Amino acid sequence: MKKIFLRSLLLLFFLTPVGAFPVVAGTDVCIDCHGGLAGQLGEIPTAEWKTSIHARHRISCHDCHGGDPTDYVKAMTAERGFLGVPEYSEVPSFCGRCHVGVEEDYWESLHGQVVDVGGPNCVTCHENHAVQEATIDLINEDSCTRCHSYDKPALIKAEISDTEAMLSRLEASIASLYRVGVDTGHLEDELFATRNSFRRLFHSVDIDKIRAETAAFDADLEETKATIDDLENTLGKRKLAGGALVLLLLLGGCIALLIRRTYQDQE
Amino acid sequence: MNLAKETMDWLDRRLGVRELMHQNLGGYLLPRNINIWYTMGAVLLAMFVLQFITGILLLIYYVPHTDKAFASVTMIMNEIPYGWLMRYLHVVGSNLIIVFLLAHMLSVLYMGSYKRPRELTWLSGFILFNLGLAFCLTGYLLPWSQLSFWATTVATDAAGAIPVVGDQIIAYLRGGPSVGEATLGRFFALHVMGLPMAFLLLVGFHLFCVRRIGISKPPFGDDYRPTDMPRSFHHDEHPNGVPFHPNYTIKDAAMVFFALALLVAITFFAPWLFIPPDALEPADPFFTPSDIKPEWYFLWAYQTLKIFPSELLGLASQGLAMGFLALLPFFDRGLERRPSNRPLFVTLYLLGILVFVGLSIWGHYS
Repeated sequence: MKKIFLRSLLLLFFLTPVGAFPVVAGTDVCIDCHGGLAGQLGEIPTAEWKTSIHARHRISCHDCHGGDPTDYVKAMTAERGFLGVPEYSEVPSFCGRCHVGVEEDYWESLHGQVVDVGGPNCVTCHENHAVQEATIDLINEDSCTRCHSYDKPALIKAEISDTEAMLSRLEASIASLYRVGVDTGHLEDELFATRNSFRRLFHSVDIDKIRAETAAFDADLEETKATIDDLENTLGKRKLAGGALVLLLLLGGCIALLIRRTYQDQE
Repeated sequence: MNLAKETMDWLDRRLGVRELMHQNLGGYLLPRNINIWYTMGAVLLAMFVLQFITGILLLIYYVPHTDKAFASVTMIMNEIPYGWLMRYLHVVGSNLIIVFLLAHMLSVLYMGSYKRPRELTWLSGFILFNLGLAFCLTGYLLPWSQLSFWATTVATDAAGAIPVVGDQIIAYLRGGPSVGEATLGRFFALHVMGLPMAFLLLVGFHLFCVRRIGISKPPFGDDYRPTDMPRSFHHDEHPNGVPFHPNYTIKDAAMVFFALALLVAITFFAPWLFIPPDALEPADPFFTPSDIKPEWYFLWAYQTLKIFPSELLGLASQGLAMGFLALLPFFDRGLERRPSNRPLFVTLYLLGILVFVGLSIWGHYS
């Protein structure tokens, strides 16, 4: 009993003001070893990965390259599923283990059909370790003219730009709703599915197919937008009510102070 | 027949309530120069009442289980009518309470109202302030978000720096080797039952001290003179003062209205001020966010732990600072309360505020 009492006293004395600070989980042996190596086997991919969308989504080294990130000795052994670096033409299949739909459309595209002879694979446009969130800006003259003229990519970009802009706007709206505590899970899922399907479409690099199918995606996005608009309207009404309540409370405070003045005059 | 008058007459015949009310309201005289800082107590009481009400309403739907806590909070926010309002009022209210507690304590310090014979009033108030922080710390874990989980992990980890008993304290706080179901259970019990009971008892004692000893006169104005410490109990009376009710209660009411306006404004327009992004994600014990920061009122403590070469030194310095503040009236025994006659105290007071603010800003950006 005395022991418990002493512990409680210690707790009261020492712990009350203690806050919290970040700690880094140290289970990833890939970073531990490769982070200390120079060049392409170490500091460059490690630093690049840390800036990537993969890092933000907690996709770590072993998720692509296989192996065991908890065992220093056997991390890079075949028995732990280590895959290493894929050959150039195997990159689409390597990425396609997760990006399944896009891979299908890629193989059917002109890009996919010439990958064996040095045509573009995923990392040609998206980078490898520094892969960022895909945007329409990836289609640009500097990038595309490394292999061919910009005429056709410019047409594709023009065709998809409205839908892409709508996707970006809806993503931003969902992020704002999420930030104020709205459960946006279903909206995110809906948009994720539409975005993935749409991006599958333009990985086909087939302008006729893109023209034919874009309208259907726009219709899907309009439905999502209607749901978002409803939620934003609700939040707007809440703010109106909140503003009115704040004014009423301020008014109440001012009236109370005025009443107080009448007492002051009597005093 | 006037029902209210009849009821009052009935009660008065049995309990003498009219005399009691006169003694504590109209006949209770306050110093004539009483200022606006004296309303902080009423504001805090109102805010705590609101915390109790919103807390009870949240309790109806909150599930204190690691598998269901986050989902239950999401449900409260999105499916329960006005659930979002109750939660945001509770969250924003808890932060504003710390602001008002600090304002209350700082004004009491500045005016020297903590001095004898009011040592017990100060000490009980100081413990109430710490209970307020404990409310925040335990409430932090309940949504079982990334922020909840990792902030609690690190807060409880810090206890490990205490020699000999450190590990036992961690196990005692968490109910296991790591933050988990047992931790959530005990923090929940503390937050909704243990702390409120201790709080109510202590508030009762604090108010008793205030009423029994009498309100301290603000140490300003030409006619203010320090009073000697009486040899026996003495109620500090203010014969030419103003009645507590309605003269001062209306001022209390005004400040309560303004405080509620601030609470409602933040609740409706900027609740995210007190809800960082990590609080929106469910707890994941296998992923440590890199940008976890404590709440603003713990930032000074967080930075203190970082600037000392060892966590033990950091903890000890915090303990010493808090212990010194708690026992201040027992050290500072002079009778002078006028700030203009206490240059050393005022200098230390301002330095203390600067250190608190400086460490907090440093902690925020570090």
